Formats: sequence, C-alpha cells, structure tokens
Amino acid sequence: MDLLFQFLSNTGYYLADYRNVIMIVVGTVFLYLGTAKKYEPLLLVPIGFGILVGNVPFFKGFGLGIYESNSVLHYLYFGVTTGLYPSIVFLGLGAMTDFSSLLARPSLMLLGAAAQMGIFFTLLGALGLGFLPKEAASIAIIGGADGPTSIFLTAKLAPHLIGPIAIAAYSYMALIPVIQPPIMRLLTSRKERLIRMPELREVTKKERIIFPGIAVILCCFLAPASIPLLGTFFFGNLLKECGVTERLAQTARTTIIDTATILLGLTVGASTQGDVFLTPKSVGIFFLGAVAFSIATASGVIFAKIMNLFLKEKINPLLGAAGVSAVPGSAREVHLVGQHEDPENFLLMHAMACNSSGVIGSAICAGILWSFMI
Amino acid sequence: MYGFHAISTHNGWAMALAGALIVFSGLVVLSTAISQIHKILLFFETKYVGFRNNNKTHENDEPEEQLELALPTIFPTELDEIARLYQPLIEEIGETFYLSDLYKLAREKHFPHPHITFTAFRDAKILILYGDGVFSWTPPKENTVNENE
Repeated sequence: MDLLFQFLSNTGYYLADYRNVIMIVVGTVFLYLGTAKKYEPLLLVPIGFGILVGNVPFFKGFGLGIYESNSVLHYLYFGVTTGLYPSIVFLGLGAMTDFSSLLARPSLMLLGAAAQMGIFFTLLGALGLGFLPKEAASIAIIGGADGPTSIFLTAKLAPHLIGPIAIAAYSYMALIPVIQPPIMRLLTSRKERLIRMPELREVTKKERIIFPGIAVILCCFLAPASIPLLGTFFFGNLLKECGVTERLAQTARTTIIDTATILLGLTVGASTQGDVFLTPKSVGIFFLGAVAFSIATASGVIFAKIMNLFLKEKINPLLGAAGVSAVPGSAREVHLVGQHEDPENFLLMHAMACNSSGVIGSAICAGILWSFMI
Repeated sequence: MYGFHAISTHNGWAMALAGALIVFSGLVVLSTAISQIHKILLFFETKYVGFRNNNKTHENDEPEEQLELALPTIFPTELDEIARLYQPLIEEIGETFYLSDLYKLAREKHFPHPHITFTAFRDAKILILYGDGVFSWTPPKENTVNENE
C-alpha cells in the first residue's frame, strides 16, 4: 500500500500546480492557432507541444526537466542557450532568400532600417519599467519580429528570459495578420494605399552572387557581434546563388533548417515551465513585445511617408510595414492590404525587398546591442 | 529604479540613439554599395569583356537562335488573344515549366504585366498547376473543347 501511495505522490496528477495548468492551456492555444488557424504552424506547433511537454509536473532530481543538468531536454536546450540553433536557422533562411527584389531597388532597404526603430524605443521603455540593461536589450529585440535573433541575443545577455522572450516573439510573429493591418490602415490614406509600384528590373546572376560577399563584409565589419547570424545567413545565400552548390543549398533550406526549427521550437516551448515562466516579468515582456512590434510597424510606414516627401516617384507606404523581419508573413500582409484596396496592385516583390532587409537590420541590431552590453 | 531616471542611469538615451544611427548608417552604406554592383559589372563587361571579345575571331561563331516576337502596338484585352501571344513562349520553354521561368521569358520579351496576366490565366484554367510548383499550359481552344465535351 505504501508503495502505491509513494507512486501516486510522484505522478503528475499529484504534483500538478495551477501554473502548470495555465501553461498547458497556453500550449493548447498555440497548437490550436497553429493547426486550426494555420498561424505560423511550423513554429507554433513545435512550441505548443513543447509547452505541454515542459509543463508535465515531475519529481525534481530525476533528471527530467529542461533546467536539470543531466536531462535529455537539457542537452537539446544547449543549442538554444549557446545560440547554435538560431545560427543554423539563419543558414537555412539565407539558402531560401531571394535578394533579387532588394538588388533591383536598394532604396527599399531604408524601410528595413526604419522598422528597427521599434527596437530602440522598446529599449528605452524596458529600462524605464525597471528592467536591467541586458534584460532590456533582450526584450527590445522582439521589435525586430525575428524569433531566432531574439533567442540568440537573449541567450547571450539574459538566458533566464529565453522562455518568455521567445514565446512573445513567436506569438507576435504569428499574430501579424491581427496586429499589422490596423496600424497600416490607421497611418495611411486610401490614396496612399493605392500607389502602384513599378515593375522591378531584372537582376543578373552575377549581382546575386556578389551580393552575399559584399553584404557580409559591410555588415559584419560594422557589427562583428552579428557574425554568428549574418555570417551563416549570407553563406546560405551564396550556396543558393553560386549555382555550383545546389545540393548543399537544398540541404540547408530543407533538412538542416527543419531539424533546427523542430529542436528550437520544442525546447523553447519546454523551457516555459510554469514555475519559471509565470512571473510578473513575463507579463511585462509580453506588454513590451506588443509595443515593440507595433512601433516597428508604425516607424516603417511613417518613414515611407517621409521618403515620399522627397521622391518624385512615390512609394506605397504600406511597404514600410514589411521592414520588420518576419519573413514572409509581413510581406504577405502588406500585399494583402494593398490588394484589398486595389486587386490589381502587386506589392509582394517590393515588400519582400523590405522584409529581407529587415532580417539583415534586426541581426545588425542584435550585434550592436550585444556589443553595447559587453 | 524606474522611469527617466533609470534610462539615464543605464545610459539608455545614448544607447538608443547610437544604436539607431549605427543600424541606419550601416544599411544606407549597404544599399548604396549594392546599387552600384550592376553599374560596376556593366563597366567591366563593356570595357574588359568587350575588349577581349574584340580580339577574338568570330569565324566559327554561329548565330544563336533567338525567339523574335513582334508584339502588337496595342496589346489585346481578350484573354484568348493574349494566350495566343504567349503560345510561342510556351513552345520555347516546354510543356511543363516553372512559373518563374515563364515570368522571366515574358519580361525579356516585354510582355506587359505578366503577374496580372498569369493570375487571369490561372483563373481561366489556361495555366494549370501540375504539382511541386510546376505548371502546364492548356491553350484556350482546348479549354473550350474540353468544357463542351
């Protein structure tokens, strides 16, 4: 009988705490949004399931939890805490990204820069709310709307906040269709939304091959701390464009990035153990994340309007919203909002130019913030 | 510590301003650099390659077969008519093809608004998804015959 009671006292049913239950509900919501609503399913499904796994109550000391040094989950989590998975994800992203539209219209890169202002406004906000500088920098990077970059910087500066920051970053990326369109409509007139963009010039293969080399040198010389992200990103892009390593590029954009995404999502989800995750700080991070993302979207749109004051050939200010680095979600949203006003207005290619420059911009910001905190 | 006092104590204003300026200037430099790539390439191709080619003999060079298309001055608005103009492009790239290849070819031959045209072709089932991003072409006449059948 004693043995039975001892066994029962070690089960999850007995050890469950209201925080685990709350997190299991959150995980279920993620799974619902990913599977039923198809909001960023490749991210939300692994994270959602990871939340369920991470919040199964267990007897401490058995080497089961992600924060216990000898557990399997802890070994898998190593890729998050060292910044390994984000680097691998960037390799795959590089092998997927086509920079043709950016090369055809480089001025759109300014919108990618403008959208990074959300990061620096949030840095101030987080400091003002009492977060320490390293924590504030990690929270601020959510404004880049780039999950791997957020995880990378947080792993380096404030590892104890990886869970809430990763969940906030991915949540807002998944909620792009909800967050961005109202801001875009609020800040633009119908006349502005109707602006059509000219067709882009054709970009030669040589330009596409040269670009990663130039970009990695210019960006990494400026912010060497962004080498782990931008180094692999542009290397992946070179594999894609050089034409002689198609097999490697194919592996990078399929098997490698998929493996990293699965492990990243699952372990980040599992890191949200109720007792560690449900704190007032997490609430503050979620609030600041929403602010960061909204400011990033707004600053891109406003900057596009400012550019229009000086340009003869006006650009559609909706493109500014694609300056955040949520690829390709925000570009798709810009295209859809544009098409809502004029079904024959095709903004996707131009929006992708802003989007890809947003990826570069947020990785540079991560490097800058990291170097400020060293 | 909270508010403006906390921001000032942690050097927040300077970090935000310097960070914003650095990222902005970095991307401005990058965009300026990449805007020059095609000009530099063009320069090398016209000066260096042009010089090299001038020194070569062209006796054995056979003229490359190029698809010459005479597009009408006023482009038709009827989809069937437009599809007929696209027919030579399809013959050039084969029965099944990636849409991006057709797009590139259409751009090269100066077809107006290929994006919009492709959407209309897909709606009219002239362009049919074959699978894995590959499309096939069903000329408008065949479409009508199939429908009548």
